[in-house]
Formats: sequence, structure tokens, C-alpha cells
Amino acid sequence: MASLSQMIRRFLEKPGSVDIAPFERTVAAAGALADRARDLSLEELREMAAANVGSAEFCAAVREVADRTLGERPFDVQLVGTLAMLSGNVVEMATGEGKTLAGALAAAGFALRGKSVHAISVNDYLARRDAEWMAPFYTAMNLTVGWIAEASTAEERRAAYACDITYANVSEIGFDLLRDRLATDPEATVQPVPQVALVDEADSVLVDEARVPLVLAGATDAGAAVPEMAALVRRLSRGYHFELDDEGRNVFLTAKGTDTVESALGISLYDHPGTVTEVNLALHAHALLVRDVDYIVRDGRVQLVNPSRGRVAQLQRWPDGLQAAVEAKEKLAPSDTGEILDSITIQGLLTRYPEICGMTGTAVAVGENLREFYQLKVAVIAPNRPCVREDEPDRIYPSLIDKELALADEIVAQHATGRPILIGTLDVAESESLAKELRSRGLEPVVLNAKNDAEEAAIIARAGELGALTVSTQMAGRGTDIRLGSPEVAELGGLLVIGTGRHPSSRLDDQLRGRSGRQGDPGRSVFFVSGEDDLLKAYLPEETLPKAEKDGRIRDKQAAYLVGHAQRIAEGVNTEIHRNTWRYTRVLEEQRTRLLDHRDRILYGDAGAEALRDARPERYQELVEQSSEEAVAAAARQIVLFHLDRCWTDHLGYFADLREGIHLRALGRLSPIDEFNREALPAYRKLLEEIEKRSTASFDALDLSAPLAEQGMKRPSATWTYLVSENPFGSDWDRVLRRVSSALRGRKKG
Amino acid sequence: MLTALTRAFRTPDLRKKLLFTLGIIVIFRLGSVLPTPGVNTENARKALEAAQSSELSSIYGMVQLFSGGALLKLSVFALGIMPYITASIILQLLTVVIPRLEALKKEGQAGTAKITQYTRYLTIGLAVLQSTAFVALARSGQLFGTSANDLPILLNDDIFTVVVMVVTMTAGTAVIMWLGELITDRGVGNGMSILIFTQIIAVFPSELMNIFRQKGAFTFTIVMIVGIFMIAAVVFVEQAQRRIPVQYAKRMVGRRMYGGTSTYIPLKVNQAGIIPVIFASSLLYLPQLLVTLFANSQESNVVVEWIAQNFGSGDTPIYMATFFLLIVFFTYFYVSITFNPVEVADNMKKYGGFIPGIRPGRPTAEYLNYVLTRLTAPGSLYLGLISMVPIFALTLAGATQNFPFGGTSILIMVGVGLDTVKQIESQLQQRNYEGFLR
Repeated sequence: MASLSQMIRRFLEKPGSVDIAPFERTVAAAGALADRARDLSLEELREMAAANVGSAEFCAAVREVADRTLGERPFDVQLVGTLAMLSGNVVEMATGEGKTLAGALAAAGFALRGKSVHAISVNDYLARRDAEWMAPFYTAMNLTVGWIAEASTAEERRAAYACDITYANVSEIGFDLLRDRLATDPEATVQPVPQVALVDEADSVLVDEARVPLVLAGATDAGAAVPEMAALVRRLSRGYHFELDDEGRNVFLTAKGTDTVESALGISLYDHPGTVTEVNLALHAHALLVRDVDYIVRDGRVQLVNPSRGRVAQLQRWPDGLQAAVEAKEKLAPSDTGEILDSITIQGLLTRYPEICGMTGTAVAVGENLREFYQLKVAVIAPNRPCVREDEPDRIYPSLIDKELALADEIVAQHATGRPILIGTLDVAESESLAKELRSRGLEPVVLNAKNDAEEAAIIARAGELGALTVSTQMAGRGTDIRLGSPEVAELGGLLVIGTGRHPSSRLDDQLRGRSGRQGDPGRSVFFVSGEDDLLKAYLPEETLPKAEKDGRIRDKQAAYLVGHAQRIAEGVNTEIHRNTWRYTRVLEEQRTRLLDHRDRILYGDAGAEALRDARPERYQELVEQSSEEAVAAAARQIVLFHLDRCWTDHLGYFADLREGIHLRALGRLSPIDEFNREALPAYRKLLEEIEKRSTASFDALDLSAPLAEQGMKRPSATWTYLVSENPFGSDWDRVLRRVSSALRGRKKG
Repeated sequence: MLTALTRAFRTPDLRKKLLFTLGIIVIFRLGSVLPTPGVNTENARKALEAAQSSELSSIYGMVQLFSGGALLKLSVFALGIMPYITASIILQLLTVVIPRLEALKKEGQAGTAKITQYTRYLTIGLAVLQSTAFVALARSGQLFGTSANDLPILLNDDIFTVVVMVVTMTAGTAVIMWLGELITDRGVGNGMSILIFTQIIAVFPSELMNIFRQKGAFTFTIVMIVGIFMIAAVVFVEQAQRRIPVQYAKRMVGRRMYGGTSTYIPLKVNQAGIIPVIFASSLLYLPQLLVTLFANSQESNVVVEWIAQNFGSGDTPIYMATFFLLIVFFTYFYVSITFNPVEVADNMKKYGGFIPGIRPGRPTAEYLNYVLTRLTAPGSLYLGLISMVPIFALTLAGATQNFPFGGTSILIMVGVGLDTVKQIESQLQQRNYEGFLR
């Protein structure tokens, strides 16, 4: 029964208020058909399901097939989730409720309607696991299933995309699209026209990942970072030569630092922009990027760690010389540096799908974002068995040392009972230092972090056993399923989850807690927080926590409020980054779509040859006489494609520059986003003119006997991603208020 | 500008937005002329005419300007958008004083949404207060000042009529607020600005008609020519800016297709906008108000008399000089508040930006301050002159009190107009490019 307050919430379109009552009725009706379904053959069940996808018959049939092939009989709540997804919602289901199966049933439903489904997950491990796990079910339904991993070849990708259901990581799908958009041969493309996207861990994919556009970059020259710069900045000290801003996102030289650098280099620094860039990059690598937090060094290579997943981001590199600067800092050989060839936001990628649905354990918290960016609604499915996990309030300590001591004591005490413990740390370095501390106390923790991701499955499989002690980063925080090893474990109180600090988003906290208490199991979770945690230092630098009590803990309510407040500020900042990413890429993605129309006509047709023939009729005739009509057309196609792609790269470079300083326009009471978009139009016109100019020039100089690569038309390759910056000034009013506020408090700013 | 508009109408989604905005404006104007139940419209009109030709008209002129003539018609939208604007100003100021609001604001959009909600509640509160005050004034016959005649403005004096009127006007304010937000969300431009713009424009036809009827075709033509010339001048100066190039040295960049720099600080000649004029004229209303308060008392006072003589109306030399000086002062004051060279230099430093040849930090702040000070001088003179025009025109051409091309109106009109056109332009995309690639 829907209560009145729920109806009001639904009317106001509050997140999580999608009406699931009709789905529940359908599923109840399916229960009555169970006996009939049991007697049918697979063939008959398939017909029963395909006849009317989404009906009670469909539910009864797929439930029976899943039972026979997977040995798992979907609960009513899973079927309700399936139906909600088939209607295009994002479903919130608690951890351990069997989202994977519910998603597979929905994917089968879409496939039976004749659509091809992309089941999008957050990493390769989950994509492959789910595809292989659900394969017997799909096979019995006469549906084909495939999966894609980073290492898949183009051939394998094409085969996987040809399946009815394709499991893949979101970035793989994005990169396949980006690579297809640069193909010079129609045969080389791998991705078909998108139809249905079924997004697993929807909040992570649609919100967290969407902050950063997917970028395809191409290697051009070897890294340009100067090792001397790395050596120079190593001599500088923080607070004297350089300083960091409050949020620890930027570093800059002080006047003293500038003096030191100028005398070391013997130049007036700010007359040489190139040198300033080199110094800034070296300083950034030196002061802001920390080994084993932001990146790890493995096999002589610098590898980025994705902060919200805790995994090595294989395809990511820092942009525009920063990668080389980090390599210089670590005294490694510079790898190729490059420029951005093409990019797409997660929004741009997913809104290409006419149908989107998704599932996650934490959707309501991002309900507003899902509606704003994807026009998706959230349906909340009640758990099959109520969750009995105890979530303790945070244990808050004044200093980091107090916290670490209390944390280690608690782990030792709890471990003595034999209860399995999962400790979630915030980064690789923390996981390792905690493991070291525990070892010094005679414990034997198992560590799971970006450095040993290969053993992930084995570690997770044992994490719920008696006496298990697992120290993990965010890697274990999502998608992993930790089963209790024995009934004895349940008697001890189930899995204990300890967080060593609150994450920048409450969803990440909830996901970590959710590793415990699956399917009505007992469990407990607690977070240890200190006033010196990065979250508080970065977002509430001016606040101090209330005084601690005798045992070292702070129990004042104000402290809990401040921790939550800092987290909400962090969430706000991240949403703003997401919104800006979207706002500032929308016009570019529109232009890209338009340019791709031209590109497709050149790639699949003869638009390139026609354009060059119209522009240079005599030259065209002359070349045809030299060889053949086909050879000239093929060469013309390659010439125009090359310059189109080359100019687009320059275009993106221009916009990256523009984007970086566009916030300054706010100082002239202009709206930065409007100014940005206004500059976009003439730039696009210029882009088209430039393509024409360069193509005709190449055509005039064309030598049909030599390969194009030797005529200055060499194509680059390689891939990585980057992050954009936000507008710090605010409106006129914000500035007035800021001045008044700082005057009132007698605080000196800047 | 016109080409931008025609192109906008050829773009389907923009055309939809423009038509939507126009539709909202029509509804808004309709509500502004629709009388509140209980008003004797015939009497209200007569009283209004009487008040306009009386001595005290300049105060009513200002009120009429912002309500598009709706207030004194006692229409459904009589209160206009002023309650909403006042409420947002109050709440923004409160975020500075109340820690809880400041904390909300810091939390980003979720927090700002709550503050917006509070603003709406406060708007309703203010609307109740204001509408009660106006209805009470109308009931006692004092709405049109002391010189108003004895015509009853309300049809009926009973409490029911009064309550209905208060409720109607308050609801009207809520609807205006909604209309404004609809324009911001789904139309073009900023809803509040567009509605103010509409109100200012709305009185033009009748004011011009008045001039034509009372002063004849010659004065009318002169007024039109002066007005158009002024608008052109304001558009010209409002667009004028000094661009200070800035380089961001955080990324290695390769070759570039486009020449010239697109990264700069645009310092406007009129960096302060319209605020100084509003501050100055509000301040100059104070002596006028004092005079009205003390004028009735029997004892004569030298100070009061002097004020009455020099500030009672806008055409005395002392009034004009004070007005001009106040504008110049407020321009400098406002620019110094909104543009803090130290903060800007600091921000640039943090994000790796610098002005070529100048060190980040203090030298940059000093340079910005130097440029800004030199730019503000002509800016303040310009604002002062534009604001003086209606007063000069008044004395020279003998036009009516309500000279339509007042400095404030033109500055607001041009400002909103330019912003809106820029926003339209930013949404315009190249649709059909004829050329090499087809």
C-alpha cells in the first residue's frame, strides 16, 4: 500500500519514488503460474517468455529457466527489479540481493524484444565474471552473450558486440566508440548502433565516472619533461618556496621560490611562458602527486590509481606533459607524450542509447543527478530479508595518531574473537602502512589493493571465513560479494566492516558498509574518523572539532555534524565538476556529431573525392590520367580524413586553452559558459575552412606513388584521460558577500 | 543582433524557447493589467491620473517604473517582482551572518536549493506584508498621496474584500516568481531580468503617447532621436572593455590552428554596471522623504526649507551636482568591492596563470589595480552623464516628468538586452554551412 506521504513524494518526483506496485502485482501473478512453468520444456518456456516481455508469463518463465540452468530461483524482489529495469528505471537494491541475476533477466527481456543489450559494468573483472556466470541462462534462452576486456583484440570485440548481450566496462565501450570515430577503413570499426544500455553500479558509472570525459589521446613525440626541472624543484621546500591551496589541488611558487628558480635558471621567468610551464609541471608532480596514493610505480612505469575505485586505471595518463613530469620525478625513462584526438563524456556516450536502465545499491542519494543528467528515475526495491547489520556511529578522534592507535586496538580485540574483519582504507599507501602496523602487532592481514589486483577473486572468496583479516582499498568497496564462511561466523556476529576514514561521498561509505549483512546475515560496520583526515582538512579548513573526552574519543554531536558537513561539501564540489564537464563539452559534442556526419560520408562514400574534384578539377583530372579513378578516390578519401582528424585535434586543443581561462570572463560581468559557447561557433567555421585549405594543399602536392605517411600525414595512437577545472570567482554578488563576510569576521583573505 | 534573432528563429529548439518566453511575458502583462477583485477600476484610474500630474509624481515614477504601472492599478500582479528580489537580497545577506545558512551554501547545489526554498517562503511573507499595506492605504484613500481626491478606490470596505485582495496579490507574487523561474529554466535569459525589462518597456508606449499628445510632434521627434542616440551610446560603451591577456602555464601545448589569445581578463569601461545609479538615486530620495514628513508640521525650519528648495525636485543645480558626485563615488566604491585585484591575482597564481612579463602575486595585483583605476574614471563619468540626461532633457525640452528614456531605464534595458542576446548567441549553432564539406 502506498502511503499518502509516498504519493506526495511521487507527485513531487522525489528520487526513489517510482511506483513499483504494478510490478509487484505482476510478480504475484507470476507466482501462481509457477506450477504450470515447472512442467514445460525449455522450448515452451522460451516461447512463453518471448510472447509478452514484462508480463506475469515472462516472469514465471525466466524464473523457471534461471532455476534450471543456474540453480538459483529468483526471489520476488529480484523479479520486481527486473520489471522496473525493463521500464527504463534505475533500481536500488541492497547488497547481496542478487542484482546480477535481476539484471540478467532484464537483459534477456530486452534481447527477446529484439534489441541488442550492452550490460555496462565498472570494471573488466565484473564484466567477465557476470557474463560467464549468466551464460548458461542466456544459452538456454537461445540468446548469445559476450564480454570485452581491456586486452580484447578488435576481432574479439567485434564478435562480442555481435552477441545479443555484451558485458563490458564503460570505458571499453567509450574507447571503442572513440576509436571507431577515427577509423580510416569501414572494415576497422567494431561497434554496432547502440540500442539498450543496462548499467550495473549505476551511480558509479553515471555519476562518479562522468566527472571526467573519456579522452582518446595520440602519441606524438617522446616526453618533453626536463630531468633538470625535477632536480630543481626537489630542492624547493613547501611553505617557503612554494605553497598549496586549501583543497590541496594546486601548487604555486612564492616570491622567494620565483627568485630561487630565476637565479638557478638565469632568466626572468615570466618572460618565458614555456619555462614557466616546465617549472609548474615539475612542481605539480613533486608536490601534489603522491606515490602510492595517486599512482604506483610498477614494471618501471607510472600507473594511475583511480580514486573512487581504488584500482589501477590502465588506460589513464596525465595530460599535457604532466605524465612526463612524474616520470622525471621518479627518474624513469619518459614515455610518449601526446595530444587529445577525440573525447566524449559518459553522458554523451550513454545518451546515444535510446533505452537506458540501471541498478545499484545506492541510487537514491544521486537521484537528483540521475534526473538532471540522464532523465532517469529511481525505483527502490525492498530487500528480500530485512538487513540486520548494525551501523555504529562514527568514532571520532582529535588527531590522526589517536585514531590510528584506537583503530589498531579495535582490530586486535575483534580479531581475537575470530570474527572476520574487512578494513576499508582510502588509498594504497594507507592500506600498506596499516598492514605493517598490524603485522608489528603479530597479526597476519591479507592486503588487497591496486598492486595485487590479480589475486582479487581469491582474496574476496576467503574474506568471510573464520579469523579472516582483510585490508583493502576501495577495490573491495563495490560489486564484490563476501559470503560468510560458516554458521559459526554468523554466531560471532558476522562480518565486521571497519572504515579507516569517511570517503568524499556518503555513497562510497554505504557501499563499504554493504559488504556486510548480505541477505539478512548479521554484521556490523564502523568508521574511524579524525580531525586531521584529508576530508576535513580539505573542505573545512577553518573549523575545529569539539574537545575529546577522557578516553580520547569525541562524542559531541557537533563533531558528527561537521564530518557530515565536510562530506556534503565534497559531494557538492564533485557534482559541480560533473555539471561543468557536461556544460563545457556539450557544444563540442554537438559539433563533433555534425563533423562525424561529414566524416561518415567521406568514409563510407565518395564525399572526399567529390569535394576535392570540385575544388581542384584540373588537378583531379591530371591525377586520374596518371593512375585510375579508384586510386585517386581512395587517396582523396585518406587525405580529407587525415586533415579532418588533424584539425579536430587542433580544435580540441584550442578549446582546452579557452576552457582553462574562461572563468576570467566572469570578472567583466560576462557569463563564462555563454562566452565559451559564443567562441565555439566561429571556431567551428574556422575548423571547416582549415580542413578545406589543408586538404586541397595536400591534394596539390600529392604523389600517388608514395605512402601518405611519408607525405606528412602520419597518424598517432595511444589512449588516456584528463580532468577539467572549475570557476572560482562567482557572480558580482558572491564577490560582494565574500568581501562583507571577511570584513565582518576580521579575517584576512588571500 | 537582428541576424542573431532571425537565425535563432530558424533553429527549432531556440524558436521554441523564444516563443515560450514571449508566452510567459504575455501572461505576465495580462496579470499586470487584470484588476484585483474589489477594486473600483474607474475611480482608481482617475486617482492615478490626478496623482501623476501632481507635485509628488517623482516618487510614483520610480514605483511605476519597476511595477510596469501595475502597482497603482492595483492589479493581480501589483507587487511585481520586487518582493522576490528583496527576499533574495535579504537571504544572500543573511548567509553572511547566519552560520547555518553559510554552511548550507557551502554544500553546493543541495544546500543552495534549500536557500532558494527559504527565499520563496520569505517572498510570500513579504508579499503578504506589502499587499496588506497597499490595500490598507487604498482603503483609507491615501494610496495616491495626500492630494488624492475622495474617490473610493475599493468597491467595498468590508474585511472579506480586503482579505480577498491581499490573498490575490500575494498569490500573484507567487505566480510571478514561478513565471520568472520558468523563463530561467526553459526560456531564454534570466527570468527576473526579463520580467524587469518587460515592466520598464511596458510603460514606454503610453509615456511616448503622452508626450506626443501634450507637447506635439516636434518635441516627440526630438525625444525619440535623443532616446535612440542614447541607447546606441549605451550599447557602445557597455560593450567596451580592456582585455588584459593572461597565460596559463600548466600544460605543454603543441602547434595551434587559431591565432590570437582567447584567455584574458575583460575589464569593462563600465565595470560597476547599474548599481551606482540605483544607490545614488535611492540616497537622494531620503531628503525628499524627509521633506514630505516635515512639510506638514507647522513650525518652519531653515534646514527643512533649504532641503525642500534644493532637493524637492530634480532640476536644481545642487541636486544635479550631488547626484553626479554620488554616482562617481559609488562607481569607485562598487568597483573596489566587486573587483579585488589581490584576490584575482591570488587566484591566477594558484591556477598557474600570469600576465606575460609580470610576476604573479603582488606585482600582478598592482598592475590590475593601476589599469582598473584608470578605467573607472571614464566609467564613472559615463554613468553620471547618462543619468543626468533625463534631468537635462526635462529642463531643456520641457518634457513631462516621466521622460521615458531615463538613465536607469536605459541602463537596465540595454544590460538585460545585451545579456539575453549573448545567451541566445551562445545557443546558436552552425546549422547549414555551405562549403567544401557537404
